[in-house]
Amino acid sequence: MRNRMLAGLKLPLYAVALAAAVVVPAMAHHSGAMFEEKKEVTLSGVVKEFQYTNPHSWLLVDVKGADGKVTTWGFEAEGPSSMTRAGIRLKDFMPGTPVTMVGHPMKDGRPAALWVKATRTSDNRVFIPAKGFAVR
Amino acid sequence: MTKNTLNVIGGVLAVAIAIGAVAYHACAQNAPAWINQDNNWTTNKAALQAFGERFATSDEMFNVLKQQAHGGTTLTWAQMGEPAFDWSGIYTRTRASLQFDLDLPAEAGPDSAKLTPAGQAIVNAKADHLKRTGGEYDPLSDCRPPGTPRWFSEPFLKEYVVTPNQTWLMNEMVNDTRRVYTDGRPHTPQDDAYPSWNGDTIGFWDGDVLVAHTRYLMTGQYQRGVQPDYSDKTTVVERWHKVDPKTLQADVWVFDPVNLARPWYTRQSWTKLSDEDRMLRIRYWDCRENANNSIVITKEGTSQFPGFTFVPKEATNAK
Repeated sequence: MRNRMLAGLKLPLYAVALAAAVVVPAMAHHSGAMFEEKKEVTLSGVVKEFQYTNPHSWLLVDVKGADGKVTTWGFEAEGPSSMTRAGIRLKDFMPGTPVTMVGHPMKDGRPAALWVKATRTSDNRVFIPAKGFAVR
Repeated sequence: MTKNTLNVIGGVLAVAIAIGAVAYHACAQNAPAWINQDNNWTTNKAALQAFGERFATSDEMFNVLKQQAHGGTTLTWAQMGEPAFDWSGIYTRTRASLQFDLDLPAEAGPDSAKLTPAGQAIVNAKADHLKRTGGEYDPLSDCRPPGTPRWFSEPFLKEYVVTPNQTWLMNEMVNDTRRVYTDGRPHTPQDDAYPSWNGDTIGFWDGDVLVAHTRYLMTGQYQRGVQPDYSDKTTVVERWHKVDPKTLQADVWVFDPVNLARPWYTRQSWTKLSDEDRMLRIRYWDCRENANNSIVITKEGTSQFPGFTFVPKEATNAK
């Protein structure tokens, strides 16, 4: 199903890339079984909404395909306190903000991923939720 | 004074001395002072593990610790401002790890726990399940509390409040608070007891060390992965201590006759976060707040999102 979905994305507009990635243990309150933790997907789009919620935040990004069709991708990260510790604030991703997202995609091919890294196009600033677990 | 009287007095004295010697010996056997600890953590950990193994039950251990502390001291409100009892701030685990034993690497098994055959069988079954399915389902996915002893291994924020009569050990995760009663009350009597996520915890202060004892727990697992389960027969002894302005430490002995062949000693540690801009907040956790956070168990016994609404957040809030 994932392959079918990716085939429909029509490179390079979606700029999708799968690559071997470092395995990061999920610090979530749930298992990360639904994600391909050894693969990464890279997508560019614009922020639809940043759901800054407990126990998990979701960054919704509208990604446009070659055929002009827009798919909303969801990127899961930790809740507000961990995001705060990672230096990621609600105001950083206002609707309409262009971003490039890197995440561990879902095994079943649905348009969602575990948020690994977000790069805001306007200033190239990088946002990494896992930094929210740094002890300092 | 007759010869007989002298003999009686002598006999009584001899018995008293003998009792004293035995008592002193027993006390010395059980008394680390407080277990000679130096910079060799491997040796120290072994000594702390061995200390726990001297006791058949956690009750026995807790009672000996209380005896050694002469019943413990009662704190006053005036003392709450002293650095040793000021546990204010927001903390997190000293190492970002899901291992119950912080000394173990991320992917290791419960190497420091000596399991019973039943406990080992559970761990083996978990390893087999992970190998077969590549995943697992965590009961906490629906926002139920981790419970104790899993409380220790959660990597989210912690907050602590010491008062003379109670100490609150608060976990950001699922708004979870453990209460340690230090007002001298005993445990809930056995015939009034009932199991709960964090059980019933009583304690006393030995100087600036909080000694706690917990019983009446519910079954659970120390953490996801291949970490063991614990039974509702589990009891716990803890020694909490603020070791420096940024570090809270607890020596923890878990007793579980079902899963553990000996008490499992671990040192738990939390670091006070700098929070320089004072932006950190502990907020309520509710899995119903955002429908996208719904998790279901699959028929293979792993985890899955049932679906994504990706509708505006306002529409997903529980009403």
